[in-house]
Amino acid sequence: MTPSFPIEFCVLFLGVVLLLADAFFPDMDKRKLAHIALVWLGGFLVATFFLRPALLWASPAGFYLADPLGIFFKQFALVATMLTLVLAIEYAPVVERAIPGSKPGAGLGEFFILPVFTCAGLMWMASAADFIMIFCALELVTISFYIQVAYLRKCPASLEAGTKFLILGALSTGFLVYGITWIYGLSGQTGLSAIAGAFAGIPAIPQSSQTALLFGLGLVLVALGFKVAAAPFQFWVPDVYHGAPTPVTAFLSVGSKAAGFVVLMRVLGPFLTVPEIETRVITVLQVLAGITLIYGNLAAMPQTNLKRLLGYSSIAHAGYLLMGVASVGSPLAGRAIVFYLVGYLLMTFLAFLILIPVAKAAGGDDIAHFNGLGRRSPGLALAMLLAMLSLAGLPFTVGFLGKFFIFEAAMQEQQYFLVAIGVVTVACGFYYYLKVVRAMYWQPVPVDAAPVEFSPLGRFAAAFLAALILIVGIFPKPILDILP
Amino acid sequence: MPTLAHYLYVSGALFSIGLLGVLLRRNILIIFMGLELMLNAANLSLVAFSRFHPGLDGLPGYNAQVLVFFIITVAAAEVAVGLAIIVALFRAKQTVHVEDLDTLKF
Amino acid sequence: MNTNYLFLTIFLAVAIIFPLIPLAIAWAWARLFSPPKPGHEKLASYECGIDSTGPAQVQFQSHYYLYALVFLVFDVETIFLMPFAAAFLKLEFSAFLTLMVFLLLLVEGLVWAWAKGILAWK
Repeated sequence: MTPSFPIEFCVLFLGVVLLLADAFFPDMDKRKLAHIALVWLGGFLVATFFLRPALLWASPAGFYLADPLGIFFKQFALVATMLTLVLAIEYAPVVERAIPGSKPGAGLGEFFILPVFTCAGLMWMASAADFIMIFCALELVTISFYIQVAYLRKCPASLEAGTKFLILGALSTGFLVYGITWIYGLSGQTGLSAIAGAFAGIPAIPQSSQTALLFGLGLVLVALGFKVAAAPFQFWVPDVYHGAPTPVTAFLSVGSKAAGFVVLMRVLGPFLTVPEIETRVITVLQVLAGITLIYGNLAAMPQTNLKRLLGYSSIAHAGYLLMGVASVGSPLAGRAIVFYLVGYLLMTFLAFLILIPVAKAAGGDDIAHFNGLGRRSPGLALAMLLAMLSLAGLPFTVGFLGKFFIFEAAMQEQQYFLVAIGVVTVACGFYYYLKVVRAMYWQPVPVDAAPVEFSPLGRFAAAFLAALILIVGIFPKPILDILP
Repeated sequence: MPTLAHYLYVSGALFSIGLLGVLLRRNILIIFMGLELMLNAANLSLVAFSRFHPGLDGLPGYNAQVLVFFIITVAAAEVAVGLAIIVALFRAKQTVHVEDLDTLKF
Repeated sequence: MNTNYLFLTIFLAVAIIFPLIPLAIAWAWARLFSPPKPGHEKLASYECGIDSTGPAQVQFQSHYYLYALVFLVFDVETIFLMPFAAAFLKLEFSAFLTLMVFLLLLVEGLVWAWAKGILAWK
């Protein structure tokens, strides 16, 4: 058993070494870098199971928290990064075509290396217990995502997505730091436990400083709302998801969202100890969850592009997760959110993993490009079917249980209205996810359909994800037992 | 003698000007300047809070000042990446105006 | 916590109203007074009074901009050396090691840029 803080440094060091290898061996096949990164990240993933859950520098000023939640999300980040690399290897021909260089694969190295740095940032976010740490880790993630989104620098759509993400991401950073400023001004602390201590030290917070505190917390919530793609801060999502390279879209929708929710849960902790603030924050969260659910699900219905559809679906899933955060008083809520995020990772990555070879063969990522996939390549179609049914929430899949636990936590907190919205929007979800299924099984095969090629590594990952969706959907206990 | 309130007014004004710049201007470079102004508004009020709320030992709170350093460096990194993206955008589309970013709208 | 937080409330009101009014005006402003009118003069490379000469599709000297970006990052990162220098005599050895790691990371960035050929003046 070892303390856990070296694991992030190891990931960072891996990234640095890979960068140097990329620079000093320009003639090597860059896919090798991705394979090396995959092996090492897998090694780190194994190492995390031997980590000792402990407070590092356990004091009111402690800024690194390796509790079970933190360690679990480190593993989550590592798995997400490894899957992103698998997707990136599949996607490499598109990158090579989009960035013409003097040598083949000239711009490919960083495409595999940047996710490693993002992974380090995500892992730090999982353990951040101080606003300074939260800010730095969040920015490491966000800035490396700016580059990845705009990576196809000859492709206007990718650049445009990158610019939009840059401006809105920087705007949310501005809100975040200004919010932190006010929270610091009123509590005199940046550590989350120290802030809770500052609130506990006084009998009642005066009305005027309550307002200012809510102002600060509100700004922080706006910033985190941007990160987790909650309405009404969701307007960047469809464009960025559509324009970004597909592996980056998958990473963005899973990694960024999961880290955002971990930080959200941690940041809300000290404020929920103050009764006057708690009721108002919960109300805000309920409203956000309701709007996000309705907007995400309704706006997804008319979409014809699968990446855009998954973007809106990502907003809708943020709504279910926010519903869990709003029910945070229930003992089930934390576990429900963790379970939902695990399910979200499995089904989102499976959907994007199938999308890449299909888009490569058909020359686009519209739903129409899936026409007749059930006859062209039944295996891929079956995996996609499973991902879509799970995203929609059909029983015996992980998506169903995720929603079920969230609804149960919300019922325990008597949020019947939110649960009603949730149930109605799940029905909307069936409509738009089944559009893809309909295209695959009930549409004729296009006459000029090219055969879909899929690498063995991608096949293995897809089979693995599909199996996990079913297994965890039937035996949820191991995931639920992660949190005490 | 300026008090904490004065600093906070200036910082609030800076933040609002920055936000206005982001919302009103259509040149991406100027939008970016507005974003930097917002970050610096936060820096100003952090330093002011740290100066006017000394800790138990009578010294200014260090946490805020360290955070200011991190904000400055992160802002620099953000500018470096941002300018690179904007230059790439200009080369691809010959424009730095937000209205011309319409490839992804339908 | 201090008791006189009245100014915070005032501040809050100002902070909300101040952006909201111009936001309302902004739409009108954009419509009435500042419609986009890209013209020859406006799109010229420099607007300092002298007509720009030569073709518009000149070779873009990207070297300057790459140097500027690299310089910007290295220039600002040195800010972390300042508190280290100020508190040098009171620091433990581990702080020194930490800073060396930080400098090593900076040097790594430089080496990477060098190996990638960014520093070569072509």
